[in-house]
Amino acid sequence: MHRFLLRIEPIVWLLFGQGVLIGTILLTSWVLVVGMLEPLGLVPADALAYERALRLGAHPIGRLVLLALIALPLWKGAHHLRHLAIEFGGHARDAVVAPVLYGLAALGSLAGLFAIIRL
Amino acid sequence: MSVPAHPQAMAPSRPGRTRTAPPQRPDQAPFGGRYRSHTLFGATGFVYLLLGLLALEAVWALGGGSASWSGFQASLASPFMIAIHAISFVSVIFVGVRFFRLFPKAQPPRLGPVRPPPAPVIIAALYAVWIGASVLFAAILAGGIL
Repeated sequence: MHRFLLRIEPIVWLLFGQGVLIGTILLTSWVLVVGMLEPLGLVPADALAYERALRLGAHPIGRLVLLALIALPLWKGAHHLRHLAIEFGGHARDAVVAPVLYGLAALGSLAGLFAIIRL
Repeated sequence: MSVPAHPQAMAPSRPGRTRTAPPQRPDQAPFGGRYRSHTLFGATGFVYLLLGLLALEAVWALGGGSASWSGFQASLASPFMIAIHAISFVSVIFVGVRFFRLFPKAQPPRLGPVRPPPAPVIIAALYAVWIGASVLFAAILAGGIL
């Protein structure tokens, strides 16, 4: 497992780095509008109505943005939590923690890809 | 034909004789002094993992039809979810500010003949992209454009 984790480290680092950079850029307005302003009724009612949301999300660029919005934060979260676990608990449990977290991120990314295709 | 090198190809064949002290956690870790922001930065992994899963739920609901999408929107309107998003918003801003401050320090001294721009220029460019993209994306989501 340790050898496998070392082999995938460059890919994980790429996804982690993009999760921090692109993930942060996308999440700023997503969290603000979808998670706070729209539930509080501070944006027009039809802004995220089903037809408009589907039209935006099903556009090729929209699909790409949504996939990045799902997958990149998952990889950023998984990698950061793995290292937080190492800092608090040492390397002893890393052979279990890392596969669980990266597995969750990989499964979530695949589910995201399927959800995007389904639009 | 070349093959990828073994990840530990350069490692010694057996442990060296050099005696080293066992690693020790600094006195102030994990929540004292400058370690506090380091630990908080790591803890934002919880928030990003949650936000990635919530985005997945959103896209899944959108693909499930009008009723499914309305149900998802209704679930976001609870005070608990709004509070979660408020905390998440603060976390995302914290990650951006901290990461953009670190970004110039992670650049190589030169890339071939090209030197990276000075740190203030890199930071200004990152903030310009962040603010510009956020305003554009927020305007699209809020129905201001498109």
